[in-house]
Amino acid sequence: MAAVSRAVRVAPIDPSGKALDEGARDLDPKDPTAPSVADLGGGRFVVAGGAAGEDRHTGRIARLVAEAGAADRYEVVVDGWRFELEVEDAVRASLRRRATRAVDAEASSGPLDIRAIIPGRVAAVRVTAGEVVEPGRTLLVVEAMKMQNELRAPRAGTVQRVAVGEGQTIERGDLLVVLT
Amino acid sequence: MTSVAPEPSLRKDAPDERPFARLLIANRGEIAIRIIRACREMEIETVAVYSDADATAGHVRAADEAVRIGPAPAAESYLRGEAIVAAALESGAQAIHPGYGFLAERASFARAVEDAGLVFVGPSSASIAALGDKLAARRSASQAGVPVVPGTLEPAPVDRPDQVDGIVAEAERIGFPLLVKAAAGGGGRGMRRVAAAGELPAALVAASAEARSAFGDGTVYLEREIRPARHIEVQLLGDRAGTIVALGERDCSLQRRHQKLVEEAPAPGLSVEERRSLHDLAVRAARAAGLENAATAEFLFDEERRFWFLEVNTRLQVEHGVTELVADVDIVREQVRIAAGRPLSDEVLRAADRAVAPERHAIEVRISAEDPAREFTPTPGRITHWQLPSGPGIRVDTGVEAGDRVPPDYDPLVAKLLVVDADRDRALGRLARALDETVVGGIQSTLPFHRFIARDPGFRVGPPPIDWVDTTWSRNLVAGREAALVAARWAAAGAAAGTLGPDRPADVDGDRPAVAAAGRPGGAEPRAWSRAGRARSLDRWPR
Repeated sequence: MAAVSRAVRVAPIDPSGKALDEGARDLDPKDPTAPSVADLGGGRFVVAGGAAGEDRHTGRIARLVAEAGAADRYEVVVDGWRFELEVEDAVRASLRRRATRAVDAEASSGPLDIRAIIPGRVAAVRVTAGEVVEPGRTLLVVEAMKMQNELRAPRAGTVQRVAVGEGQTIERGDLLVVLT
Repeated sequence: MTSVAPEPSLRKDAPDERPFARLLIANRGEIAIRIIRACREMEIETVAVYSDADATAGHVRAADEAVRIGPAPAAESYLRGEAIVAAALESGAQAIHPGYGFLAERASFARAVEDAGLVFVGPSSASIAALGDKLAARRSASQAGVPVVPGTLEPAPVDRPDQVDGIVAEAERIGFPLLVKAAAGGGGRGMRRVAAAGELPAALVAASAEARSAFGDGTVYLEREIRPARHIEVQLLGDRAGTIVALGERDCSLQRRHQKLVEEAPAPGLSVEERRSLHDLAVRAARAAGLENAATAEFLFDEERRFWFLEVNTRLQVEHGVTELVADVDIVREQVRIAAGRPLSDEVLRAADRAVAPERHAIEVRISAEDPAREFTPTPGRITHWQLPSGPGIRVDTGVEAGDRVPPDYDPLVAKLLVVDADRDRALGRLARALDETVVGGIQSTLPFHRFIARDPGFRVGPPPIDWVDTTWSRNLVAGREAALVAARWAAAGAAAGTLGPDRPADVDGDRPAVAAAGRPGGAEPRAWSRAGRARSLDRWPR
């Protein structure tokens, strides 16, 4: 039987596999507005009341997708929407955030790994190592399900490495380009 | 005409009914399984073909025999006509059903099948060629007295400075805005919208170049843009003796970037007279082209309630199931019978007689591996949870089950959910209920979008304008997703609780400001009674 018994921080994970601070919430079962969470077994949950809002949700499966010790990742489907969420003890999460903020402050200009957000095939590589790119510049074209998706530079920088070649099949999370 | 057989028993077909001993399906996914199902019911053995990406796919598991035809890319597998014909000959199949997409409307493939001494389940290669050229189809329909969308009936001159004046004058006569369309086109490729005469020469060049690269044919023509308009198509069946009937029409107005998202039958709001006249136009256009087997005539329906002929698709459509539910016939079964030279069945002739006054309403939604929160980006991956709806009036056509991978190489359609009920309003209620029962895990699907449509008051009133998706849905998706995320966070916390340390009794009893339950049926704002009932059920479950 699993009930929410201690405060946790739950953060959504973006399609490339990165936990997002935006959308993360500290959940405390002692909060009077907290909903009740019932475990029906087999990964099925019912969330009722409080901040969960109106009685209009369906779906309700939750599944462990990645074990990472203190910050396991779960897939949850509600109302047809699929989320990947990282759950971490709230106290630990707050300590970790304080530590990473200090590191982030000095590392914001460090290398940026750009990873695949969908599996597919690299249709075209538009940059080479050493090239200076502006934000929005097309780095690669990835073909998936008959559609061509352009992958653009999220910020300005220099291409340190292109990790894939044209025609290569890629899986979600694969390293594509490193920007410095 | 066929002679009407007496009905001495429950068995409606002659006992020797088995048009072919073995049939090959030149397709994959849900449509391959749909065809295999019809064959199994007719006791026809089935041969599947597959690419390396589909070695363990549902259609391979369902068929009696399966033949590998190449690596994952469609161009090296499902589009290799010669490999498919060879697979049919090698496996002893007598007929090939092409499904939709891939080779279904390539006249050269149909001809190769015919030349190999096999039967192509579909129109003849000659009619596919004649109707595949949209300009030729427009001419043939126009000569048969069917009103075609105003425009040109001859190829437009491309990059011919000496003829610019002529084509601009022609365009002025048609009226702006107009569309430049590819004669060999489809899916919006090789198409350009032209708002004023000055843009025309460049649009002709661009559309023609795109058409040449996509279809190997740069022929383009002009057509008036009819907006607002509804997209209505008529299901046709014809036999070798020349009998052609309309089984009913479908409204496919809900589209996004020329891709259909929802289809329904009959088209809402048509009178019996309008429906009769539409079906007559469709049969006339088909007869002019000498059509046999299954095809669909597409029309635009404008605000003055006029029908304009667009084109004929010479294949089984994705959305054929809504017509089957309303007409109560099996179109694939009929296709196979027709291909074997049988006349249209009595069941189909009777259904055609009823088609102008249908007594049921069916709706289909296409559940695809696409993320409706990210502009319908494809979301290939492994399906981990797959819970389908059931109960009265529900049909699901799918090619996947839990554990299957949706490969990135093909169309993102994973399932078609169809519902049928006495009228449109009830069918929408049934659709909403069925969608609440459907759960897909492992990949993001288009389910949230369909759930939204099924309850949207605007859609209840009737089919929305074609640009509805980009306006209404985009405005509404954020709130719905946020509400789901709130519940999802708590479900994740619940799932993690066992791993996050010792259990303590959950301190969440007492007054709950707004008792609600994620995982309970959706719907309008629940009344106090149902809220209280749900709260009581919650108290019985372990927390």
